Amino acid sequence: MTNVNAADIQGFVLRGYNFPVARYLFLEISQDNGRHFVSRLTPQITTGEPWDKKPRSTVNIAFTYKGLVNLNLPTLALFSFPADFVQGMKERGAILNDTGKNSSEHWDLMWNEEQVHAWLSVDALSANELDHRCAELQELMQETGGAVVIGSQDACAVLIDGKYTNTEHFGYTYGFGNPDYLGVMRNSGPGQGKLEYDGRWGVLATGELLLGYRNEAGNLPDAPVPKLLAKNGTFMVYRKLHQNVAAFRNYLDDQGRRYPGGREKLASKFVGRWRDGTPVELSPHHPDPDIVADHNRNMNFTYSSDLNGSRCPIGAHIRRGNPRDAFGFNGQLVNRRRIARRGVPYGQYVPEGLPVRDEDERGMIFMALNASISGQFEYICQQWIEYGNDARQGIEKDLLAGNHNGRGRFIITGTEDPSDPPFVCGNIPNFVEVRGGDYFFVPSITALTMIAGGTIDPR
Amino acid sequence: MAVSGLTIFSPILESDAMGIEHASSVRRYLATLPRTHNSPFARVPSTHFARLVVMDDVVFVGAPAREEHLTSRYLLFEATFDSDLDTYLARMAREIPDHVDSIWSHCVGYPGAVDPTAFVGYMKKCQVEATFSFADVSDRTVQQNLKALQVQSALAHFIERNQGRPATEIQMAFGVLLESLAKAPPPLPGGIDSETTAAENGTHD
Repeated sequence: MTNVNAADIQGFVLRGYNFPVARYLFLEISQDNGRHFVSRLTPQITTGEPWDKKPRSTVNIAFTYKGLVNLNLPTLALFSFPADFVQGMKERGAILNDTGKNSSEHWDLMWNEEQVHAWLSVDALSANELDHRCAELQELMQETGGAVVIGSQDACAVLIDGKYTNTEHFGYTYGFGNPDYLGVMRNSGPGQGKLEYDGRWGVLATGELLLGYRNEAGNLPDAPVPKLLAKNGTFMVYRKLHQNVAAFRNYLDDQGRRYPGGREKLASKFVGRWRDGTPVELSPHHPDPDIVADHNRNMNFTYSSDLNGSRCPIGAHIRRGNPRDAFGFNGQLVNRRRIARRGVPYGQYVPEGLPVRDEDERGMIFMALNASISGQFEYICQQWIEYGNDARQGIEKDLLAGNHNGRGRFIITGTEDPSDPPFVCGNIPNFVEVRGGDYFFVPSITALTMIAGGTIDPR
Repeated sequence: MAVSGLTIFSPILESDAMGIEHASSVRRYLATLPRTHNSPFARVPSTHFARLVVMDDVVFVGAPAREEHLTSRYLLFEATFDSDLDTYLARMAREIPDHVDSIWSHCVGYPGAVDPTAFVGYMKKCQVEATFSFADVSDRTVQQNLKALQVQSALAHFIERNQGRPATEIQMAFGVLLESLAKAPPPLPGGIDSETTAAENGTHD
């Protein structure tokens, strides 16, 4: 296959922009003028074309099912969307285990009091550029009468010593792994796609990311009609994950005092990476900045020689989210469960040692792109994050992201080395709480033009 | 093999004297049965898994289209269980005769649960030999699995509480643990952790 047509695909689908600041505007779309707004907006949308020079800001848009209804898509086209997307995140709560503290009645007010129709995303080089671009978009909405902003979410890379970093609020370096797909040009090292039978790393089928292409099963993903509406589009999961930083640090302090390997080693076992990003599978006893800096190594590892988890615990966050070859069959069992992630933190970062409260607005905006929400994001969430059976972890959940209700447990297998012993962490509270989210359709530029022009013919 | 499987198709009667379809009646009855720890099959404690389905007809999927029909409607009963088939079926007749009667009395030639031998003979007549059955239970009996889960849970709690303590204290505490486990009543069917969530119990395609 030749490369996909990046000019027809919204840019953030193909790669993360790595801008320091972002704002997600949530829109209610007008039934009367919504299409006019989309028509005026479409030329501004940032596509996947390579940049000669990094722009000062980017704009992208995606719609919920209700948004597509208000854009007056033909009924036959609306009825052809997959059920997971049509239902939306709230209705899929039983699958995602959004119960207790994570249940939708505790989400931010907007998700309960308003109907979110669209996600309009602006990334920018600076806070000023961000305000400027958002003001322009506000003007366009007013002028066309096509949409109103019913809520917004700011996100910002964590500032440490005046520099934007890839640190999240628990102190881990994030954003290493994203899958490679056939026909999608990206600068990446080995370890990000799928394992081939000969042990080399290859690329995933395009249809795991984009609609209209073969997926890993050799089929076209379940997608709306007409085909032109779907092709080069995808589905996005938006999920606001509040982080209880005080609870996390207290827990790490408390368990770290008892764990013979010490606090930082314990933190590395939780995630499968040391806080600087060193994979524990490659360096189980200490962080190694040389590995972190080396694109040929920082994602390049497998678990088949560590099946009992003595280097990287079986329940570690990155091993749960992407088990690689841990389930055998040379990794074939995970190839249909991969997602592209575009996470950005929100809220003020508080360095370790300073007072911090769980109540403060702080967390991660988790965004994932996949061709099948139920087959990919929901599967990972239900089976690998909120449950442990595939990895023979019984009913244990992901330590960081799991909805534990204080009953969580995490087992570090360890070795016979006294500084690296087996250890059981019990009574795990919820370090992360869901505060809102939904499922969005990310149309191609062609599809946006069709939506705006009312030229969708599903017959 | 500690665990066996069964697949039984019982033809369902047509309509009763009132003109009500037996298939509808049995389907309605099955819908009222609890499916979790208070399922009637929890009272047949050698049951790992049981499934009852009313099969109205079969649909040919393929081309060219072909119209095919079953000669009657069938009640499908699938189960995985400990012990041999005769013992298991006789146990069903003894432990939950009311449910067994309420279900299979809608089927052709059903002799009643009152005579377990006749019931076993009837069910075996309707049995389909499965060449491969799969039970994801490590080939241990229900009781062994429940006990293993109880021990696993108790041991994990024990380690949480005692890790890092001096070896002699751990050894003493471990002795207490073993004693309490030995004395503990056998765990109830339906699992130890009654607070499992929908996601934990749910299925996914």
